[in-house]
Amino acid sequence: MRFGVVLAGLILGSGTLVAQIGSLDAPAAKPKQYVSFAAEPQTLKAGAKSVVELNFRVMDGFHVNSHTPKSELLIPTAVTMKPVDGVKVGAVEYPAGTSYSFSFDPSEKLDVYSGAFTVKVPVVAEAGQHTVDGVLKYQACDHAACYPPKSLPVQVVFTAK
Amino acid sequence: MKRSALFLGLIVVGISMLLWAGWHNLRERKLAMQRAQQNRVELIPDKAAQSGQSTVEGEEPQLRGKAAPGFALTSLEGKKVSLSDYKGRPVLVNFWATWCGPCKVEMPWFEEFRKQYAGQGFEILGLADDVDAGKDVIAKVAHKTGVSYPILLTDGKVQTAYGGLEVLPMSFYVDKNGLVVEVTAGLGTKDEIEANIKKTIASGSSAGTPAKQVAAGGQ
Repeated sequence: MRFGVVLAGLILGSGTLVAQIGSLDAPAAKPKQYVSFAAEPQTLKAGAKSVVELNFRVMDGFHVNSHTPKSELLIPTAVTMKPVDGVKVGAVEYPAGTSYSFSFDPSEKLDVYSGAFTVKVPVVAEAGQHTVDGVLKYQACDHAACYPPKSLPVQVVFTAK
Repeated sequence: MKRSALFLGLIVVGISMLLWAGWHNLRERKLAMQRAQQNRVELIPDKAAQSGQSTVEGEEPQLRGKAAPGFALTSLEGKKVSLSDYKGRPVLVNFWATWCGPCKVEMPWFEEFRKQYAGQGFEILGLADDVDAGKDVIAKVAHKTGVSYPILLTDGKVQTAYGGLEVLPMSFYVDKNGLVVEVTAGLGTKDEIEANIKKTIASGSSAGTPAKQVAAGGQ
């Protein structure tokens, strides 16, 4: 009995020690993406025109160009969906951007997304569960710097009934 | 008694293995942290609300105090330009892009400082970090900013040599000996830029052996 208690103590103690050894704070990783995608399963009517919503969020302190930036030099935010059997995908619908100016150049008005924004994808789907993959292409800036264009993979799962 | 000793022996072996696994894990984490430290980003605090460094920890390459990676690139005029052409002169190597708003703000300042410090041999090389923009678009944007210093078309290799460039604008201040004196990410103030130029001109003024250039992009 006493031996069992000692044994249990040793095992628990060593386990705690190992846990402590392995609990060093990992270095903070540099963000590779400035936009996140929140995948939400959706239910649609089979065979009818429906809309799948893609919900994105731009990291605080950053903005991305809208789909219709005010300069041809700027890289627009764009979603491309891959074709999939049983799903007809229509032209992607983008939200309107908001006006933004860098503090160092108030005269230049930009059209941007910041915070949360939703992109709508019109679909007509056969009955059943579908998984559609796509990619969001965007280019982000903060108040003093810009970041190279990025691609964010997206995947939306929906059921057509 | 024998069984107890055997049992106890097994427990000791088990605990030893757990401790070894923990130590091994710690060692691996330390190595990972060291690797991460090598890619550490230096956050430079804003000195003014109107400007300053980027919000994100831009990956600052470990080039400060080291030889500036060499390159040989084509200018908008079709001329081959190498960093080694400017040996013995202080040079600002500035990476920018047509889609980068902050980049275009500082370019006219650069032009101004180029004229101001021409007497000290100061030169600026603007490297267009544009993947999709054509030469004509780059030329049009450069012309609009009013710069007359060489604008070079990049080849992908030079970006890698200079740390991957996760942030634009990115500037590397290279002294007469080919050493990187200062690295800045994001838009700084005009005063900060001038201070870095002065520092670069002053650096390497005493006679020294020119730093060996690391070839990048083929020289």
